[in-house]
Amino acid sequence: MSQKNKNANIKKKTQPAPLLAQMGIYASILFISNIISSLAPASFPVPAPVVGMILLYSLLSLHIIKVEWVDSFGAILISLIGFLFVPSGISLAANLGIMKAEGLQIVTVIIISTIILLLVTAYTARFFIWLKKKHPAQTKNATTAKNVSVHALSRAKGEN
Amino acid sequence: MQILTTPFFGIFLSLIVYLIGQWLFKKTHGLFFFQPLFVAMILGITLLVILAKFLGQDVANLYNTAYRPGGDIIFWFLNPATIAFAVPLYKRNDIVKKYWSEILSGLLFGTVISLFAIVGVSKLIGLNHVGTASMLPQAATTAIALPISKAIGGNASITAMACILNAVIIYALGGWLVQKFHLNNDPIGEGLGLGTAGHTVGSAFALKLGSVQGSMAAIAVVIIGAVVDLVVPIFSHLVL
Repeated sequence: MSQKNKNANIKKKTQPAPLLAQMGIYASILFISNIISSLAPASFPVPAPVVGMILLYSLLSLHIIKVEWVDSFGAILISLIGFLFVPSGISLAANLGIMKAEGLQIVTVIIISTIILLLVTAYTARFFIWLKKKHPAQTKNATTAKNVSVHALSRAKGEN
Repeated sequence: MQILTTPFFGIFLSLIVYLIGQWLFKKTHGLFFFQPLFVAMILGITLLVILAKFLGQDVANLYNTAYRPGGDIIFWFLNPATIAFAVPLYKRNDIVKKYWSEILSGLLFGTVISLFAIVGVSKLIGLNHVGTASMLPQAATTAIALPISKAIGGNASITAMACILNAVIIYALGGWLVQKFHLNNDPIGEGLGLGTAGHTVGSAFALKLGSVQGSMAAIAVVIIGAVVDLVVPIFSHLVL
């Protein structure tokens, strides 16, 4: 809690880094992660942006980079993602041949697969979280139940 | 024709179709069919097809010579945008630290179960071996999914189509699906699902729902990439 408050205070005091400095950090991370990505074996591809995300996350966690150095430019980029994805969508124009041949089947499978991935992942994760909450809860509940019963007893005694 | 081969055309077209999408989305008060990304994709492809007919060219050829120079410039910015998800992830480090083993097992088992379901659906709808193999790596981002697809005997163009449509579908139908299946009861699972199914675009969508959802979607994009790298080749070897 105290740490969180400290962080909040720091955030209020410090200004976001200038836009070009933020871009410089992103460019440096991209450049380095592209080198790392090119070293990965062909059978285990690790794309540069994914390496970069891990790298920036690590640098933030190790407090080498401060959040306010990358926060506002990152928020702008994320807010634009719908637009940034337009060229990918339009790139399907190059694959219209496949669409004509067996497009309906493929698109149907893709739509169902997307829904499968969303729901199965969401519910599998929910199941594991439910397991975690259930298991330690058994021991915790037992102790709290004891405490409650002790409280109840003492209260009952007091009232008597 | 020469005017069209400069990057200006691709950038202009992308912005115009997206803005039309945004305008339609606003006018219809958020009708899912008019999601800006979906409208931009359909409108952009349609315009290219019409232009190709008009110029007497092949659509794929026109796409490569006219749209791509500009499109690639916009596309490049997905690189720093993906990296930027480290920030919302870091901001909810508390959730990551508390639930890391549940996140990992949820994503691993979720992927394996999904793979079986995807094979089942592909067979049911009647895709051939190549088509089915192309469907398997779609949970990963394109850069991972394409080489894996080729390695397991799939068609990289079909896999690319799957990865792209995943994102478009989640952006368009995500809100409806979340409501319909009550995913918002558990923000961690909700975020992981949106990141797995919708990749970076799904993560941007998840971030709009909340900081937990956004951070979970971001971590899903990273971990699912590694899971697909490792699991899909083994799975396709055993099952297909």
